[in-house]
Amino acid sequence: MEDIFVLGIGMTPFGKHPDSSAADLGAQAVNLALADAGLGGKEIEAAWVGHVFQGMAMGQRALYAAGLSGIPIDNVENACSSGSTAIWDATLALRAGAYDVVLALGVEHMTTAFRGALAPDPSDIEAQLGLTMPGIYAMRAQRYMVQYGVAPQDIAKIAVKNKRNAAMNPLSHFKKAVTLDEVMQGRLIADPLRLHECAPISDGAAAVVLVSKAKLKELGGTRAIKLAASALRSGRTEVGLVDMTVEDLTWRTAQAAYEQAGVGPGEIGFAEVHDCFSIAEALRVEGMGLVPHGEYVARVAKGEMDLDGILPVNGSGGLLGKGHPLGATGVAQVVEIVKQLRGEAGERQIANAKIGVAHCRGGKAQGVEGTACTVNILVA
Amino acid sequence: MVKLDEAKDSPRTGDYIIEDNKVRLHASRCPSCGAVFYPRRNNCSADATSPLEEIALSSGGTVYTFTVARQSTPEFKTPYVLAYVDFKEDVRVLLPFDADEPPVIGAAVEIVMAAGPRITDGGLVSIPHARLQR
Ligand SMILES: [Zn+2]
Repeated sequence: MEDIFVLGIGMTPFGKHPDSSAADLGAQAVNLALADAGLGGKEIEAAWVGHVFQGMAMGQRALYAAGLSGIPIDNVENACSSGSTAIWDATLALRAGAYDVVLALGVEHMTTAFRGALAPDPSDIEAQLGLTMPGIYAMRAQRYMVQYGVAPQDIAKIAVKNKRNAAMNPLSHFKKAVTLDEVMQGRLIADPLRLHECAPISDGAAAVVLVSKAKLKELGGTRAIKLAASALRSGRTEVGLVDMTVEDLTWRTAQAAYEQAGVGPGEIGFAEVHDCFSIAEALRVEGMGLVPHGEYVARVAKGEMDLDGILPVNGSGGLLGKGHPLGATGVAQVVEIVKQLRGEAGERQIANAKIGVAHCRGGKAQGVEGTACTVNILVA
Repeated sequence: MVKLDEAKDSPRTGDYIIEDNKVRLHASRCPSCGAVFYPRRNNCSADATSPLEEIALSSGGTVYTFTVARQSTPEFKTPYVLAYVDFKEDVRVLLPFDADEPPVIGAAVEIVMAAGPRITDGGLVSIPHARLQR
């Protein structure tokens, strides 16, 4: 399979942007990514744009605001994995040889599109009964605590780690570290999960310029990072009394990515994973086969997932600290991994970063384990 | 298992029968692979078999997991307790819990009619809930 490279990255600050529209934020991310790639807008041959709550043709509005029009623009909705699904779509087009220079953008203006707790689609009976996203993860956390003998404060340490990392990220929604006491004194959202353990409502956008190997040769960029794998899977129908602490969807997607990249889980140096809630980070990392089931929170307590640990996780601050503008999240994870592999992560720089993985997983639909999951592997 | 006549009430909120004050939820079972679904379906989501058999679940089960929802979407009255209940018919069903205190995992529950947690037309509607077995 022909190699694909990330040539340019761009990301707006995540947080509350009352004075910018989603299109403004999207255009800002696109312009940053183009400048970073050293390309003009005219060189982009096609674009995929991930968003969830932005309504019709957000992609066109954002790209027009950036001065790009006329090219194929494809709007992509795949719950919280919309942005990373846009990347996946873009890799298919490059691999098919249809284009040599494409753009993937993720954008969301959550503060105008949304209020209250995020919930599954209202047509699901579970949503009609009051199931929210915090509720789903809280119930998984309750199970995790009983099955593996851990306490709420063990899980809460994930939030402490991620907010500490976020405080070092100038683009983060939250720029203040929190203590374990502060997390445990936070308001309960859905027992046992407290306020700091739930991703905030954020606005933001992130973009990447992807190029074929031939195009990279022609351009001669030296900061390009290889996108060694991009995998997308959907959740299987849940039949019977399954273990809700085990993520079959995450495992199948990761396996596909490992195979594509030709790397095993043991070779992964660091990860950005979909920590929409504190417990989610444990379920993802274990689900990807990076840590045995039930051991994650003990490893976090030992500092193994810190920036100077053996497997740094969510060095960007993750969704908990950096923020979670749904459509932008999956692209922002890839942006962070590229920064780390280029050695441009500043205070958050992971020593000898060589292989990074981005895991993004979204949504809940009645009767299936999860809606969409992507795993991208990048290699320096 | 009981063979049920076509239920008349809304399939959206899930159907049920009440026998001796005990609520039995209507579910579908795949004659091919045995998968059980709640709410009822027209086909099997595992293998597309159609039609499915109708069954009535037991009037109780055990708590697989639970939470107390303290923040929700605007149409719900918080706080409320939700639980996933495992039935011996090999299906897991989300149900509101009829109590102010949360249950423990593994607790035996029965299914009863109770009000809430959704606010409809200014009030709480009676729907199947789980409560600790009495
Ligand atoms: Zn079947």
